[in-house]
Amino acid sequence: MIMSKLFKKTLLIIIILFIVIAVTIAISSGWNLYKDLVQEYKSKGTAIAKSIAGSSVETLLNRDASTIQAMIDQFLEISGVFYVFVVDAQGEIVSHTFVPNVPDEILKIKNEKAKTISIQDLNTEGGGKFIDIAAPILEGIAGYVHVGMDKGMIMSQMQAAMIRQLALIAIIFIFSVTMAYFLVNKVSQPLNELSEYARKLASHDFSSNVDIKSHDEIGLLADTMKSMATDLREVFDRYEQAINDAVVELQNTLAYLTAVIDNMADGLLVTDTDGVITHVNPALSYMFALRETDLIGKNCRDLFGNEFAELVRKSIDNSYEVYTSEIGLAHNRIGKAVATGIHQDTFETDDKGIGSVILIRDITSEKEVDRMKTDFISTVSHELRTPLTSVRGFTEIIKRKLEDDIFMKFSDDSDMKTVKAVKRIRENIDIILSEGERLTALINDVLDISKLEAGKVEWKMENIQPADVIERAIGATSSLFEQKKLAFVRDIDIDLPEVIGDKDRFIQVVINLLSNAVKFTETGSVACRVKSTGNEVTVSVIDTGIGISDVDKEHVFEKFRQAGDTLTDKPTGTGLGLSICKQIIEYHGGRIWVESELGKGSSFFFTLPVNAKSGHTSARGVDIIPVKEV
Amino acid sequence: MPKILIVDDDPVIRNLLEQILEPFQEHGVELMTAENGVVALEAVRRERPDIIFLDVMMPKLNGFEVCKIIKNDNEIKDSYIIMLTAKGQEVDKQKAKDVGVDCYITKPFNISELIGKVDEVLDIRIKWGA
Repeated sequence: MIMSKLFKKTLLIIIILFIVIAVTIAISSGWNLYKDLVQEYKSKGTAIAKSIAGSSVETLLNRDASTIQAMIDQFLEISGVFYVFVVDAQGEIVSHTFVPNVPDEILKIKNEKAKTISIQDLNTEGGGKFIDIAAPILEGIAGYVHVGMDKGMIMSQMQAAMIRQLALIAIIFIFSVTMAYFLVNKVSQPLNELSEYARKLASHDFSSNVDIKSHDEIGLLADTMKSMATDLREVFDRYEQAINDAVVELQNTLAYLTAVIDNMADGLLVTDTDGVITHVNPALSYMFALRETDLIGKNCRDLFGNEFAELVRKSIDNSYEVYTSEIGLAHNRIGKAVATGIHQDTFETDDKGIGSVILIRDITSEKEVDRMKTDFISTVSHELRTPLTSVRGFTEIIKRKLEDDIFMKFSDDSDMKTVKAVKRIRENIDIILSEGERLTALINDVLDISKLEAGKVEWKMENIQPADVIERAIGATSSLFEQKKLAFVRDIDIDLPEVIGDKDRFIQVVINLLSNAVKFTETGSVACRVKSTGNEVTVSVIDTGIGISDVDKEHVFEKFRQAGDTLTDKPTGTGLGLSICKQIIEYHGGRIWVESELGKGSSFFFTLPVNAKSGHTSARGVDIIPVKEV
Repeated sequence: MPKILIVDDDPVIRNLLEQILEPFQEHGVELMTAENGVVALEAVRRERPDIIFLDVMMPKLNGFEVCKIIKNDNEIKDSYIIMLTAKGQEVDKQKAKDVGVDCYITKPFNISELIGKVDEVLDIRIKWGA
């Protein structure tokens, strides 16, 4: 049985207290006993001495020593009497019980004379302590009787009494402690059980029970604890169930999301803000023929190169934009990477985001289709060129032959019909020639736009002086102005900043805008303005022509969309010019737009970025163009 | 007597060029034709033409190859080669330059431009058109 701490403490205090009390009681009772015994011995000794003194007058006077000796010897048998001796009036020892001699200390006191009984303590060397009681015989005339009571006996009696008492107390104590132990245990045992129970409850172990049947406070406490445990268990069970349900739901959601991500046909790659890969899906691993372990934790710059890392960095820096780039995949396939920054709404730090998510789609077949389309268009256009060459060439030859060798013969002396026919043939041949030219332009434009759209144009990027470009375009279109007798207004800022771009392409754009302006303007003027506006150079071509309706304005930059009714209005262009212009300008990071009022004229504007940093990132051949939300 | 060799696998184009260049015959220029690169090379070695109109896409030997052979042969490299092609892309122009083409004209061409070129090389003035 384990002793409770409470009991141990109590026991220790009890033992100490008991020892103090026991010793005190023993000492005090020992002292009392000693005093009583001394008193008893004294009175006993006095009685003996008186008795001897009374009965020994005769014998002493008769000096019958042997009688006295016999008398005193018999008193020696009384307990506590150590010696008896009788001295005469002269102080001579008549008889004594000492064996063999009277000790010296005794001899010293034998001569003391007193008329009454005198008691004194004696200490003999080696002989112990005595109480000497001297009784005068006939008031000392006949002598004295000395009785020596043994003090040592008193001491030993006292000691024995004390030991007995202590032993008794000890026995009572041990008995009491044992009783107390059982009693305390009876109280502390349920307490122990309860505390153990409480400890288990505290560690959420509701399986144990406590069996205390008593009706005291402990029983009450036990009942309270038990009912509390039941309540707690219910609450805990409920919470546990709720947590389990939530966990299962969470796991299901996670499994669902993982399944979605893992089964995506597109490759998914997630990086942190440093470009270190944190997540990939199986499609991505497959695309790069790398295992997931080869990807996770690696920096995408090391794995996929600088261009890709640049894409990731951009998406992180500007997490609300979408950036795209092409990336080489394993097995000579091509992927299109679409990167967006991840920003968490709950993330309170700043708008920098927490990483980038990149979707990679295998566009090899699309690229192949694109390539085939471009090749097809290219082939078709080449195939068209040869017969077109013949048509144009022979028409020109026919025209020349007619003019040189035939028409002249009908010049003067012909009838009206012939003259009319000659005029009609001449007109028709001119139409064939101009339509041939239009067809040539159309073939060139179709080839151009298909290459632009397929990204197959080789750009020759260089520093360009905008004024130079404008002058070249004006030069190329001057004949058109002359033909239509239109005024041309030139308004070009001096000291224009240089821009970076493909010079021939810019000239192409300006020529296109100028010839369009001439095409749709019958009277008035065409103006070309070039201004430096902040980080851009803005070029505008303003005419006083027919203008464009609001409905058509939205479509002028689309392919094969000319303003006006294509059925009734005679189309005079390919319908691709502005679309090509838009492609070229946007490739250089600029904008192109139109402002127009029907009947009053149109103004076409385009801008070219000057700042090399912002404007020419896309112009360095890195094909990263911000994609607007569709 | 100046000679012009027309090399094209398309008889219509050969015919067209012959007709275009007809006026030069009046100035004593001899016109010859070849329908492929192999025949063209034979003709070049035999006739040593002053000007060669060379098509690009031809069976057996294409225009680039023919040009390369001619320009690498010291005996015949002096012929002025005008490449006539439907291929007008930058890569093709660069390729033509690399093999030593003297003049590059894309189809469909402007007749006056073509005649002007021949005028320039042979130093013969021909009036074209009105």
